[in-house]
Amino acid sequence: MSTETFYEVMRRQGISRRSFLKFCSLTAASLGLAPTMAPQIAHAMETKPRTPVIWLHGLECTCCSESFIRSAHPLAKDVVLSMLSLDYDDTLMAAAGHQAEEIIAEIRKKYKGNFILAVEGNPPLNEDGMFCIHGGRPFVEVLKETAADAKAIISWGACASWGCVQAAKPNPTRATPVHKVITDKPIIKVPGCPPIAEVMTAVVTYMLTFDRIPELDRQGRPKMFYGQRIHDKCYRRPHFDAGQFVEEWDDEAARKGYCLYKMGCKGPTTYNACSTVRWNGGVSFPIQSGHGCIGCSEEGFWDKGGFYERVTDIKQFGVESNADAVGGTVAGIAGAAVVAHAAVSALTKARDKNDQSKGGK
Amino acid sequence: MSVKTEVDEAALTAAGNSVYVYEAPVRAWHWINVLCIITLSITGWFIASPLPSVSGEASENFLMGYIRFAHFAAGYVFAVGLLVRLYWAFVGNHHAKQLFILPVTDSKWWAGMFKEIRWYLYLEKQPNKYIGHNPLGHLFMFFAITLGGTFMLVTGFALYGEGAQEGHWSHWLFTSWVIPLFGQSQDVHTWHHFIAWGIVVFVILHVYTAIREDIMSRQTMISAMIDGKRTFRE
Amino acid sequence: MSAYETQGFKLDNSGKRVVVDPVCRIEGHLRVEVNLDSNNVIRNAVSTGTMWRGLEVILKGRDPRDAWAFTERICGVCTGTHALTSVRAVEDALDIQIPENANTIRNIMQLNLYVHDHLVHFYHLHALDWVDVVSALKADPKKTSELAQSISSWPLSSPGYFRDVQNRLKKFVESGQLGPFSNGYWGNPAYKLPPEANLMAVTHYLEALDFQKEIVKVHTIFGGKNPHPNWLVGGVPCAINVNDTGAVGAINMERLNLVKSIIDRSKEFVEKVYIPDLLAIASFYKGWGYGGGLSSKNFMSYGDIPQRANDYTASNLLLPRGAVINGDLSKIHEIDLRNPDEIQEFVNHSWYKYADESKGLHPWDGVTEANYHPEGPNFKGTRTRIEALDESGKYSWIKAPRWKGNAMEVGPLSRMVLGYLQPKQYPIIKDTIDGVLHKLDLPVTALFSTLGRTAARGIEALYCADLQVQQFDKLMANLKAGDTSTANVEKWEPSKWPAEAKGVGFTEAPRGALGHWIKIKDTKIDNYQCVVPTTWNGSPRDAKGQIGAFEASLMNTPLAKADQPLEILRTLHSFDPCLACSTH
Ligand code: HEM
Ligand code: HEM
Ligand code: NFV
Ligand code: SF4
Ligand code: SF4
Ligand code: F3S
Ligand SMILES: [Mg+2]
Repeated sequence: MSTETFYEVMRRQGISRRSFLKFCSLTAASLGLAPTMAPQIAHAMETKPRTPVIWLHGLECTCCSESFIRSAHPLAKDVVLSMLSLDYDDTLMAAAGHQAEEIIAEIRKKYKGNFILAVEGNPPLNEDGMFCIHGGRPFVEVLKETAADAKAIISWGACASWGCVQAAKPNPTRATPVHKVITDKPIIKVPGCPPIAEVMTAVVTYMLTFDRIPELDRQGRPKMFYGQRIHDKCYRRPHFDAGQFVEEWDDEAARKGYCLYKMGCKGPTTYNACSTVRWNGGVSFPIQSGHGCIGCSEEGFWDKGGFYERVTDIKQFGVESNADAVGGTVAGIAGAAVVAHAAVSALTKARDKNDQSKGGK
Repeated sequence: MSVKTEVDEAALTAAGNSVYVYEAPVRAWHWINVLCIITLSITGWFIASPLPSVSGEASENFLMGYIRFAHFAAGYVFAVGLLVRLYWAFVGNHHAKQLFILPVTDSKWWAGMFKEIRWYLYLEKQPNKYIGHNPLGHLFMFFAITLGGTFMLVTGFALYGEGAQEGHWSHWLFTSWVIPLFGQSQDVHTWHHFIAWGIVVFVILHVYTAIREDIMSRQTMISAMIDGKRTFRE
Repeated sequence: MSAYETQGFKLDNSGKRVVVDPVCRIEGHLRVEVNLDSNNVIRNAVSTGTMWRGLEVILKGRDPRDAWAFTERICGVCTGTHALTSVRAVEDALDIQIPENANTIRNIMQLNLYVHDHLVHFYHLHALDWVDVVSALKADPKKTSELAQSISSWPLSSPGYFRDVQNRLKKFVESGQLGPFSNGYWGNPAYKLPPEANLMAVTHYLEALDFQKEIVKVHTIFGGKNPHPNWLVGGVPCAINVNDTGAVGAINMERLNLVKSIIDRSKEFVEKVYIPDLLAIASFYKGWGYGGGLSSKNFMSYGDIPQRANDYTASNLLLPRGAVINGDLSKIHEIDLRNPDEIQEFVNHSWYKYADESKGLHPWDGVTEANYHPEGPNFKGTRTRIEALDESGKYSWIKAPRWKGNAMEVGPLSRMVLGYLQPKQYPIIKDTIDGVLHKLDLPVTALFSTLGRTAARGIEALYCADLQVQQFDKLMANLKAGDTSTANVEKWEPSKWPAEAKGVGFTEAPRGALGHWIKIKDTKIDNYQCVVPTTWNGSPRDAKGQIGAFEASLMNTPLAKADQPLEILRTLHSFDPCLACSTH
């Protein structure tokens, strides 16, 4: 049988034309598009076959997959059964071993240049890549081979996008983000540890619907979800502007939901959609539940000093020194030096005067 | 462009021991800049380590907002000032160029620098006479204000553009490339904060030396930055 | 060492070597190699963790208050359990007492994880070992409906409902794009369910996929997100405010109601879908009694869910604690996590280096130094092309933890059996197990099998769904009594810490006993070691040649088809392997 269109798949699943169109307008809304885009989405879905996806796992914790299956709109079930064809994903697939490996080979051949490669985790490069072994060989090889035939690559999460926890200092395995290994393919980074479920599915549906890669910022992230900081849209922002801060865990201010800036909140430096899309169907997000943002969608967020420090570390000065520690010390030394110098200067001047008045001439 | 710094004794005597060095725009810039940097340093400190919380409705208060506003306003003035000062380096007198150029190939300048250092180590009885900046002060001003100030301006507006959002000139001009250059926003904050300390250190040393030179050297200092004239005492 | 006996198993690696790599439908990267005799019976099993990230190395020198976030990223499937273990370890080291509410909220989050993780495991990681998706296409929706209604009052059970799902499935299969079901072992004779049961199970596979995302919202409320909610040394980060202005910025009545509604619905789903499905499926596989491995011999649990805050002794734990060795079920040993002679990790067959590998190391003195080195006379392939590993050399990224020298099985089965053995303290566990055994008409010894492991997980999900409700009530009672405290900040500032301290934190993770050992020096982490459930279960051999729980469980299992590893998957999956956890 020839490949079906997305619309056909939905139709034969008993979904009426009406609810299909409604789905399209919901999709438009969830992508932040004008309702007038709904017909275009509908048209695209009516005419396109399901795109095969190979989802590879490197060094990671699988929470990106776990997040993905939490998607409420669209449901993960509908994404997997109707929108795309998740032909390979070690975490979910029925087959294993040779039977699993065969699928990669088959998709690469049959859909050369036409499948999406989704990567969760990253390849380690130390020990010839054998810190992550797939089918007896380095994961990085499987990644490179598969990428060579892919149309585009999605880098899921902080692992694939930046390296994440295993790449934190001293990065013993030399875990390396995908874009440093694959340089000749379009790569869409969807960072976060993990990324928000609905952001993940929205990026996928966007690509399937419009048959193009979403507009990316200079760091390769879709602008529609990573164009603003948590802080820009944080509902605690009025408390920040007012100067109302939590000073201590579980203090009065914490119970009133004041700003978490002084508890080390990284919202002001973190680009993600948590404060707007929120988590798990919009139930909450880290700040709403009382803990500062730890900056989990930002590059190298593990190595910027403590999660509870406002003024964070400068790596060039070693782990223990932040800007205030170094700067304050230098300023203190400068101040002390000035005082001492002034004192000595006054003394020398007095002595010189003395010398002069004693008739040194 | 080259800058001559050391004293031309003949010209000096002709002028009656006093030369017009700092033109009005330079002086005006200097003191406006002083106000800006004091404002930026104090408000910057409170941005990084905010004051104890105020009470009441959030909508009734805007303390952090005002502090940040003052920082940004001073930031704008600082930026415009630096640009005007740069313009004046082209149209102003010979001394107006000094701040932007280090005569690193001039061995006399280096010799003057070492003499100046020896002077501060109490190893010289008298420092050299200079119509413009002495080499050591010149060096510090260049690093702290010309380079440091530019760095603060670039990183400051890169951070400002984050809040101003895409579409704002500061986002287009700075944020768009500064953030990717550092990798993320947090490092930009950290470096903006760190170099702020560098400027504070400069100010401490600069103010001290200005006063000290005024008292101990053979030329006017503070008044030179007020009426523009450098007068030599002997 | 081609043939020897250990722990009651006769290992013989002379037969045909079969390799399964990657083992799918698990977390992380696992490889197994088995030797089959001429009847396709497994006579030797070798399990290999094929990933390592170095978290223990990365944690050195960091702020102990941040460790929870790092260790939480060990795994996104058992998300939160490492974080909880970590904050407990730090609190133990610094002698921090947490408020009652913090303990209860942590309990609710941990129980929530069990319910979620067990459910997802059963349907999405394990069911396809027992359920033939293709056979479901042949089912009669009417009969499916009858079957469903005979075992549960779950409302989604009409013939029309099952027909819709079947149609969706039919056309999905007909499209030729089989997605995750591609190349499955459909039609393998080891599948025993009738088409109707298959259709019911596949339907619930999809329903559970929709529902699981609801369960975790409890983490979202208290921890801000799931996977990877936020935790706090000294308590929980979510302040409670049920009375005053500003309550909307904290845990308030609306939030609590949401928690309540989710835990009630979760309980209902477990009772009316998960458990009936489990029983229905199990009733067709009663004869398949393989996979017991170490489960009847050596097993243990550290216990968890402290009823009162800050008391981690066995009598205060709602999940049982203790160890059984040499199959002597009459004696439950106490476990001392601090005793240098009890828990030790060996690396004789792991790709790590110790100064002296003849000895095991207690985690406080643990060393993690990677040393990739495939070796041994029977090793086939090259450094980067492994064809066959040699279990007489180093062959895995998993260390080999031992309790008093014994390889141990950990997990729901161990916990439930330990509960069963202590009916006075755990009457509900005993009753539930008896009920299940009675329904299936099986003796208690049937628990020591692949199926028993799977059943124990379901029973535990039920028990934990119930405890979740109980803990929620406890939280409300405490709030009613006027206590809304959630964090103890007395020792938040590192300046108040001693120059040196060490501690241990433990939980029962969904997959079994989990411990983190920390040493703090000058306010920074000096050493951090995790010994994780799948480190125990997936353990390679030790110096004495003793095999780990995965390896033992595969022994003597016949394969219906030598080239289809269905039975291997079935038994491995019954442990719910998590490889990212195992090696960390
Ligand atoms: C935030 C504080 C200050 C900053 C950033 C600052 C910066 C500067 C700069 C950049 C110059 C070079 C001017 C040019 O070449 O255009 C300068 C010169 C000068 N400043 Fe300041 N200044 C500060 C405060 C002060 C104060 C408080 C005094 C007086 C006590 C002072 C006295 C002078 C003098 C006397 C000169 C001329 C030095 C010379 O002739 O070599 N400055 N300052
Ligand atoms: C001598 C010049 C300046 C000094 C000493 C200074 C100092 C500081 C300091 C200490 C901070 C806190 C950094 C942190 O820890 O996050 C800060 C933040 C900031 N500065 Fe400056 N700054 C200077 C110039 C500027 C300029 C020219 C701008 C441009 C508008 C600027 C804009 C900002 C912004 C946007 C922030 C971040 C505010 C926030 O996150 O709320 N700064 N500055
Ligand atoms: N093994 C393991 Fe975990 C669990 N449960 C944790 O400690 O899965 Ni990722
Ligand atoms: S990015 Fe974070 S959440 Fe995703 S796999 Fe990596 S560690 Fe897990
Ligand atoms: S809580 Fe964080 S993100 Fe929100 S306003 Fe405060 S600093 Fe910004
Ligand atoms: S920690 Fe991560 S989940 Fe969002 S609020 Fe911060 S980016
Ligand atoms: Mg370990």
